[in-house]
Amino acid sequence: MADPGTDNPSSRSESPSQEGGGSEDKLLLHQRLAIRELIDTEDSYLHLLRLCASDIRSGLQQLPQGDLDILFSNINDIIQVSSRFLRGLQETASQEEEQVQLIGNLFLQFHEEFEQVYKVYCANYDQALLLVNAYRKEPELQQEIQGIIEAVVPQAGPSGLSFVLVIPLQRITKYPLLLQKILENTLPSASAYPVLQRATSALQDVNSNINEYKMRKEVASKYTKVEQLSLRERLARINTHTLSKKTTRLSHMLKQEAGLVPRTEDKEFDGLEERFQWVLLCVTELKSNMAAYLENLEAFLRFRPHECGVDIPGGPAEQYSSLARDLQHEVFMEFKQRLEGLVWQPLCSLASVLVGPQNLIKKRQDKLLDFERVEEKLLEAGTITYEEEASRHTYQALNSLLVAELPQLNQLVMQWLGQIVRTFVALQKDLADQALQKAESSMAQLPHQHISEPDFRKLLEDTLDRTSGQLHSFRESLEKALPPTTQPLLPGSERQMQALLSRYGPEKLYQVTSSINGTGTLDLTLLRGQIVALLQNKDTKGNRSRWLVDTGGHRGYVPAGKLQQYHVVPSEKEPRGQVGLLEDSGLLTPEPTQVPVSAAPAVTQVVAAYPFVARSSYEVSLQAGQHVKILEAQDKKGNPEWSLVEVNGQRGYVPSSFLATIPSPAPWGWSLPS
Amino acid sequence: MSWIPFKIGQPKKQIVPKTVERDFEREYGKLQQLEEQTKRLQKDMKKSTDADLAGVQAAMSKSAVKISLDLLSNPLCEQDQDFLNMVTALDTAMKRMDAFNQEKVNQIQKTVIEPLKKFGSVFPSLNMAVKRREQALQDYRRLQAKVEKYEEKEKTGPVLAKLYQAREELRPVREDFEAKNKQLLDEMPRFYGSRLDYFQPSFESLIRAQVVYYSEMHKIFGDLTQQLDQPGYSDEQRERENEARLSELRALSIVADD
Repeated sequence: MADPGTDNPSSRSESPSQEGGGSEDKLLLHQRLAIRELIDTEDSYLHLLRLCASDIRSGLQQLPQGDLDILFSNINDIIQVSSRFLRGLQETASQEEEQVQLIGNLFLQFHEEFEQVYKVYCANYDQALLLVNAYRKEPELQQEIQGIIEAVVPQAGPSGLSFVLVIPLQRITKYPLLLQKILENTLPSASAYPVLQRATSALQDVNSNINEYKMRKEVASKYTKVEQLSLRERLARINTHTLSKKTTRLSHMLKQEAGLVPRTEDKEFDGLEERFQWVLLCVTELKSNMAAYLENLEAFLRFRPHECGVDIPGGPAEQYSSLARDLQHEVFMEFKQRLEGLVWQPLCSLASVLVGPQNLIKKRQDKLLDFERVEEKLLEAGTITYEEEASRHTYQALNSLLVAELPQLNQLVMQWLGQIVRTFVALQKDLADQALQKAESSMAQLPHQHISEPDFRKLLEDTLDRTSGQLHSFRESLEKALPPTTQPLLPGSERQMQALLSRYGPEKLYQVTSSINGTGTLDLTLLRGQIVALLQNKDTKGNRSRWLVDTGGHRGYVPAGKLQQYHVVPSEKEPRGQVGLLEDSGLLTPEPTQVPVSAAPAVTQVVAAYPFVARSSYEVSLQAGQHVKILEAQDKKGNPEWSLVEVNGQRGYVPSSFLATIPSPAPWGWSLPS
Repeated sequence: MSWIPFKIGQPKKQIVPKTVERDFEREYGKLQQLEEQTKRLQKDMKKSTDADLAGVQAAMSKSAVKISLDLLSNPLCEQDQDFLNMVTALDTAMKRMDAFNQEKVNQIQKTVIEPLKKFGSVFPSLNMAVKRREQALQDYRRLQAKVEKYEEKEKTGPVLAKLYQAREELRPVREDFEAKNKQLLDEMPRFYGSRLDYFQPSFESLIRAQVVYYSEMHKIFGDLTQQLDQPGYSDEQRERENEARLSELRALSIVADD
C-alpha cells in the first residue's frame, strides 16, 4: 500500500499532521503486526518442535535408534535455544516503546547460537530425507508412520514425516524475512532502525553461513573417501565428460609448468599443506617402525632359551632357567599386550584418520586446475557456464574447508602423537621395573650375591682361568698317545738293525707296522716288524707320505703311514725269558759278523716252524723243528722274504716266515711258562 | 657242542670281565649324554647372544633406535621445540640402551659361551681316546684268539714256536689295552663330576648380566619419564584418552567418517 507522500521522513518530522500521523500510524500498525507475527509464529513453532521431539519420536520407536538419531538430529538443542529466544521475545512485549530495539538486540544476541544449532540440523537434513524416502518404499511402514504423524500433527497432510522434519529449516530462513518486514515498517529515523538493520543482515549471514557449511560437508563427504574401484569400474566411469575434464586439467597443468599461465599461489594453504605432509610422514614412519619393533618382539618371544637342560640340579642353573621363563612368559608377554593396545592401535587409528585429508588435498589440487581454467575463461570471455560456475564453487569450498580445518587437524594429530610416544616410554619403564625385580630376586638366591659386580667379575675370571687349565690338562691326558706298541723283531733281523743303528743313529730307525707291497719300481716290499732307516721323509716329487728308507741291503720308497718310530729299547733283563728278545737286541754290540742269535747267552734260537722243500740249488730243505743258523735275513736282491740259513751243514735260502725264534735251550717238550 | 668243526661261531672268551665292561659303558654313556646337552646348551646360548647381537633381541634394540632416529629427522622438529626436546631425549635413551645391550652380549660371550666351548672341546679328545681303546680291545681279542688257537693244538715244535711268537705279540697289546682302559675309567667320572663346578659360575654370570642390564634400563627410562612429565595413568585411563582424541579428530569434516 504505497502512498507516495506518507513515507517521507521529512514530512513526518516536521509536522505531526493528520496525514503524516496517519501514515505513521499505519507503519506502526504494520510494525506491530509484524512483531506480533514473529512472536506468535515462534510460539507455535516451538510447540510443534516439542511435539516432534517427544510425541512423534516416541511414536516411531519401532524404527532403529540410529535412524531416529539421524531423523531428528539435534532437534533438542534447537528447542533449547528457541525456548530461551521465545522467552526473550515475550519479555519485550511489555516494553512497548523500546520493543523493536529490544527485538533487534535479541536477534543479535542469539544469532550465533542459531548458526551453531541450525547448521548441524541443516547439514544433516539430506541424510534424514534419504531415510524418509527409504521408508516410503515400504508401504506398511509408511502407513504406520503416516498414522502416527497424522495423529499428532494433523496438518502434516500426506507429506507426513518430511513435512514435520523440514520445519526448522523453514524457520531459520524465515527469520530474515520477518525481520525485513519489521524493518520495512520502521521509520529509518527511529533509534531502533540501525539495530534492526544489523539484525537483519546478521540473520542473512547466518543463513549463508549455514549453506556454506552444508556445502562443505557435502564436498568433504564426497571426496574424503577414495572409492575402491576395480579396473573395470574405473573404465566404466570414463565417459566423454570425465575424459574432457581430465584432459583440460592436464593441459592447464602443462601450461602452468610451461609458465604460460600463472599458478594460483596460496601461501597460507601451502604452508598448511607442507606441515600436514610432515605430520603424515611422522605418523607413517612411526607406524612402520613400531610394526618392525613388534615383529622383532614376537620373534624374541618365540625363542626359548630356558629349555636347555644340562643335568645340573639346583643352583644357578635352575635359577637361570626359571628366570628366563618368567621373563618371557610373564614380563615380556604383558609388555607386548600393552604395547599393542596402547601404542599400536592408536597409531593405526591415527594413520587412518589422515587418509581423508590426504584425499581432499589431492582433490583440491585437481579442482584448482579447473578453477584456474575457469578464471581464465572468465577473463577472456566474460561469462561462464553453469557447470563451470559449479566447479569454481567446488574448488573454493574445498579450499576454504581445508584452510579452516587443517590447522586444528595438524595440532590434534601432533598432540596425540606426542602422547603415544610418551606412552611407549612409560611401557618401557614398566618393563624394566618388572624385569629388574625378577632378576634381582633370582640373584638374591645366588651364592655370590653380596659381592659387587666388579669383584664378581674378577672372581669369575680367576675361576674360569683355573677351570680352563683343568680342562686343558684333561684334554692333554686323553690325547696323550700311549707309547706305541713295538712289534717283535723278525728273527734274524737284530743284526740288521744293529747295522742300521750304527750307521744312522737311533732317531732314524723305523719299524714297519704292517706289511708293505711295493708296486712301483722303486718301492720296497717289507714285512711287518722289519726295521729300516729313514733316508728322506719325502720322495723326489716332494710327496711327504712316501719316504726313502734303507733296509740295510736295499733302498727304496715305502708309505710313511706304515712306519713307526722304533725305540731301541734300553735293555733291562726281565726275569721272564720271553721278553728277552726285545731287551737283548739292545744289549748287543754292533758286530755285524756275529750272528746275534748265537752270541746272546743262549736265550733264543731260531728254528724252522714248518717243513720246507727246496726247489732249487739255492734253497735248502727244512724239517719242522730243526735248528737253523741265520746267515742273512734277506736274499741277494734284498728281499726279506728269503733268508740265507745254514742247517745241517748245508746253506741255502728258505722262506723267512717259516722261521721262528724260541727261547733256548729248547729241546722238545719244554713247556712255556704261563 | 664240541663236534661242530667251525670254531668261528664259538663265543669269544671274555677277556674283559663283565663288570669292568659294564662300568665302562655306564660312565661313557653318561658322558655321551653330557656331550649332547653341552652341545645343545652351547647352541642355545649362541642363538641367544646372537639374538642379542644380530638376531631378535638386537633387532628389537635396533628398531627402537630407528624409531627415535626417524622422529628426530622429521622437519617438524625444527618448528616445534617441545617435540624436538621429547624426541631428542628419547633418542639418547634408545642409543644408551643399545650400548648396554652390546655390553651384556660381550659379558655373556666371555663368561658363558667361551667356557662352554672349552668344555665342549674335551669331547672330541674323549671320543678319540675311547675309539683307541676299542681298537686296542679288538687287537687284544684277535691276538688272544690266536694264542688260544695254538694252545689248543698238539704241542709240536712248530706249534710251540708259533705259540711263543703269538704270545710275544699279545703281551704288549694287552698291556696297551689295559692301560687305556684304566685311564678312561679313571678320567671319565672325574670329568663328568667336574661339570657342576664348571657350569655354576657361568649361570651365575648370566643372571647377573640380566640384573645389570635391567637396572640400567630402569634408570634410563625412569629419568626419561620424569623428563617428559609423564603422569602415572592407568591403562584404562590411557585407553579412554585415546578414544577421546580419536572422536575429536573424527568430528572434523575433513576426516572421513567410516
